[in-house]
Amino acid sequence: MSLAIETIDLVKTYKHRGGASNTVVDNLNLQVESGEIFGFLGPNGAGKTTTIKMLLGIIGQSSGVANVLGREAGDIEIHKRISYLPEKPYYYEYMSGLELVVFYASLFGIRDNDRCKELLRRVNLANDMNRPLSTYSKGMQQRVGLAQSLINNPELLFLDEPTGGLDPIAHIEIRDLILQFREEGKTVFISSHELSDVERICDRVAIINKGQLVAQGRLTDLLAGGRVEVTAEGVSDAVSQSLRHENRTVSFKDGRLILDAPDSDDLNGMIDALRNGGAQVVSIIPRRKRLEDLFIEAVAEDDTAKGRQRGRMTDGNSDGTVSTEVEEVKTGEGESS
Amino acid sequence: MKWTRQGKLVNGPIYGLMLVLLLVGSFVQMNQTYPFWRKNYMPKVTDLGQLTGEQLLFAFAGFREMIAGILWVRADSFFDNGDYDSILPIIRLVTYLDPKQIDVYATGMWHIAYNFTDQENRADRRNIPIAVAFGEEGARNNDYTYELFYETGWLWYHRIQDNFPMAVTWFEQAAERKDILPARHNLLSHAKLRAGDYKGALKTWYELLEEAEKEMERNKSQRSNYAQRDTVEGNLDNLLIRLTQRGYFARENGWYDQGNYDTKPPFDVKFSASVTVTESRVMLVEGTWNVFPVGTRVKMILRDADYPNAGAAGLDWEGGDANNFSAPVGLTYVQDELFVRNRRFRKSIDLSRDPTIYPFVKDKYILEFYYTPRVAPEHIKDKFGYNGEGMTDSNFLNTEIRENQRVIYWKTEVTRDQILRRGEFGMEGVIPVFKTPNYVAPRVRNPEDDLVTPGTRRVEG
Amino acid sequence: MNAVLSIARTTLGEAIRRRVLLVILLIALLLLVIAPGMNGLTARQSQTVLLSLILGVLQLSSAVIAIVLTVYMIPNEVERRTIYTILSKPVLRWQFLLGKYLGAVSALGLMIMLMTGTMIAVFAAFQGPNVETLASLARVAMMYFVQMCLLAAVAIFFSTFVQPVVNFFLSGGVYLVGTVFGSLFATIAESQQLPQAVRVAAQIVMLIVPNFGQYNVQNSVINSGAQIVGEGIYYTNLAVYGVVYISILLLGAMLVFDRREV
Repeated sequence: MSLAIETIDLVKTYKHRGGASNTVVDNLNLQVESGEIFGFLGPNGAGKTTTIKMLLGIIGQSSGVANVLGREAGDIEIHKRISYLPEKPYYYEYMSGLELVVFYASLFGIRDNDRCKELLRRVNLANDMNRPLSTYSKGMQQRVGLAQSLINNPELLFLDEPTGGLDPIAHIEIRDLILQFREEGKTVFISSHELSDVERICDRVAIINKGQLVAQGRLTDLLAGGRVEVTAEGVSDAVSQSLRHENRTVSFKDGRLILDAPDSDDLNGMIDALRNGGAQVVSIIPRRKRLEDLFIEAVAEDDTAKGRQRGRMTDGNSDGTVSTEVEEVKTGEGESS
Repeated sequence: MKWTRQGKLVNGPIYGLMLVLLLVGSFVQMNQTYPFWRKNYMPKVTDLGQLTGEQLLFAFAGFREMIAGILWVRADSFFDNGDYDSILPIIRLVTYLDPKQIDVYATGMWHIAYNFTDQENRADRRNIPIAVAFGEEGARNNDYTYELFYETGWLWYHRIQDNFPMAVTWFEQAAERKDILPARHNLLSHAKLRAGDYKGALKTWYELLEEAEKEMERNKSQRSNYAQRDTVEGNLDNLLIRLTQRGYFARENGWYDQGNYDTKPPFDVKFSASVTVTESRVMLVEGTWNVFPVGTRVKMILRDADYPNAGAAGLDWEGGDANNFSAPVGLTYVQDELFVRNRRFRKSIDLSRDPTIYPFVKDKYILEFYYTPRVAPEHIKDKFGYNGEGMTDSNFLNTEIRENQRVIYWKTEVTRDQILRRGEFGMEGVIPVFKTPNYVAPRVRNPEDDLVTPGTRRVEG
Repeated sequence: MNAVLSIARTTLGEAIRRRVLLVILLIALLLLVIAPGMNGLTARQSQTVLLSLILGVLQLSSAVIAIVLTVYMIPNEVERRTIYTILSKPVLRWQFLLGKYLGAVSALGLMIMLMTGTMIAVFAAFQGPNVETLASLARVAMMYFVQMCLLAAVAIFFSTFVQPVVNFFLSGGVYLVGTVFGSLFATIAESQQLPQAVRVAAQIVMLIVPNFGQYNVQNSVINSGAQIVGEGIYYTNLAVYGVVYISILLLGAMLVFDRREV
């Protein structure tokens, strides 16, 4: 399968006045295959939005390579084949949904009102397309954003926090739309803090922290390595000693043995050992790894704020803020090549 | 850093293009727009320091004409109480802010020329060159209209009365402007006559008559057209008759000597004068002038001996500076007119009231008496002619100080001590008196008085 | 070009809905309507004062509108992140900038037209309709429009690298200098007291700072009857000058904006 996105040692460094510099994206190597839904995860300020901006050519990289659909990122020809839904965009509020989509269509040179209406129908805005955007709810705005992002029938969609701040029903609607995109053969690159959504729909994910890639791979592979918990009664000391092994914990509670082992271990062997030792197996509970665990695990290594980010990760404005603060210094930086 | 995007602007050519455009823009500005704007629209900022901060800001924020207008309105109150000192700076400011305010120029030059002097004697002439310069500036700034050319010409014609060719020049420039009113053309002819150019005057009347008749044909319902035609015709008739009676045509044809013309023989005006400094800065001027009909004004001038650009009975009226409205400090130029009645003139001139206008700070002064028939009323010119052909004086006829004119002129030197009654002239009983040698103190009645009756004879030749 | 026009149209649509602008516009309209009331105060020259006032209001409010409209244009797009959706489409940055500029200029044109219309109506109502004067008013307004296009170009140039508030004062300052400089320059350049270096410096500033003062042609209209020979050519030259300087500023803006990381 060909790669929709590939970055090789991609680096983005902002230089500040006085010589200090701040590396936002650090030697990032991403591979996104065509036709997959790719989840791009990371805590606040990890460099997710900066990476997307580099992939879109809105900002330039400091070093490294970023290829999108086989060409260098920022290539204007590529822009005809991709689309981007930024996080929480505020559109021109005076426009109606239809006007907005027509406007974005015109940027591609498309003058096809029927197609615009069709797209709005597809995102369930058929009845609201003539109302001004200022009267739209968040979910409707997000949907109209999706509609505009489909105008050029893109091969590759960048969705930055597509479900941020939406109610559960809106979540499901957006999630279903994204799944449809995959069925149509589109590649979807999602940066999201809604881990459960990503878990449900993504084929592969990459996790970055402080600009560095900490994990990347198929979700099933990354989530492999769950544990199993075996509870047994009447276990002799000798048996319990024989079960002790690295990566396993053996404990007793109310006279019962609780064995916690990686599911890659020989479960049958362990059960045989228990039964041969006269013990009674009470329960065998497999515990699969969840994306959340993976995420915490991946970020935990060098993140001092480990406990803080459990569950919902809000990416917020941090990326944007960083770039705004230093943009004066950055000007002109892009010209050296 | 590597950052390439298709369609990215290429620096070099763009910098080049910007430079070229900058050069083009500068060229257009320096050669086309700026000179034009400066000439036609620009306010003058030299002396805008007199404006308050807000006024200045407003002026530059696009309200300068409004500021000028409001200032001019405020000047109204000063006109009402005759506070000319306050008006002058406003006039200057308004015309700097908005050099197209013709009314302000016209009113301003009028006030400077006529009113900006002491109330008592109105004899100070130092401001006239300023008024002339101001008029010239106004005309320059508004050369699309006849108005300020006409107004400046009027100063030469009516206020200065010393250099009529200048009046002619300005009236001619006024006449070139299309917006001049028909009746205003007439003054050009009068000015030419006073300048001694009777042929030019005649030519102008003929042209005006032709023009007036055409205008009358063009618009028969316009009453003023008839009036103008009649005026021109009347003036032309009068001039023809006078030129004939006074022998101008005869002179041209060489039979003046044989004919009997009003200007023959020249009449002796028997001028004499005496100036007595009765008190410090107060003078009693007396004298004789042997012309009985009213209308004679003898000019008397008392000025610094070294007054800049001064000549015999006059000065360089064009030497003024319109940027500085205050009269030259420390200089004295008094010019008064002595009205003749019963063949005498007698006037007390008190210059003690305003030492800033009549400062008398120099040591030496010139006192002059001067008469030219060019400004005389017609009935006197009937005898004296335009150039003084019919006038003489056994003592003071002068044919040198004014080209082609016979004028009466006497001059003497005076000192500061004499005028201020100081030093030896401050002593009791020492009274400075300057008089022509022929001056005789008047008796109550002089039986030898001659009467001059203007000729009404038929003209021969 | 399609994209440029689309962006321009959107910008125009947005601009005419900006409340700030509407407030300014209302103030201007109000002033224009109040202006004739001044007549009562002024016995003389009511026409001069009235015309000068309404033209001054027109110029000043146009300038404020031009600056306010333009300084927020690009920062707003960044803040709302709409710029990302646009730049991720096949739209080059210079096209975006040009579209924004054209939108601003059309909005300005519309507002100046509106104000001029009111002005002409006010004037006609109080001084009687005089076709010549009314045509001159329109001409003056036209020159102000060119001036404001130039001012908008200055503001959009600065907006590619400074914050809106700074830009507001920067553009306002350039406008003030450019307005005053023409008059001041003559004085400086001709002043014999000033050293040569100062005069040369004045000349250089003159060459670089756009001369806004030149567009002030109201004087001949205010002083009715004043005729200036060759005004038509002058207006053409002014337009050329404006277009040249606008091009310089837009090219500069494009260069900066092209390198800028938004």
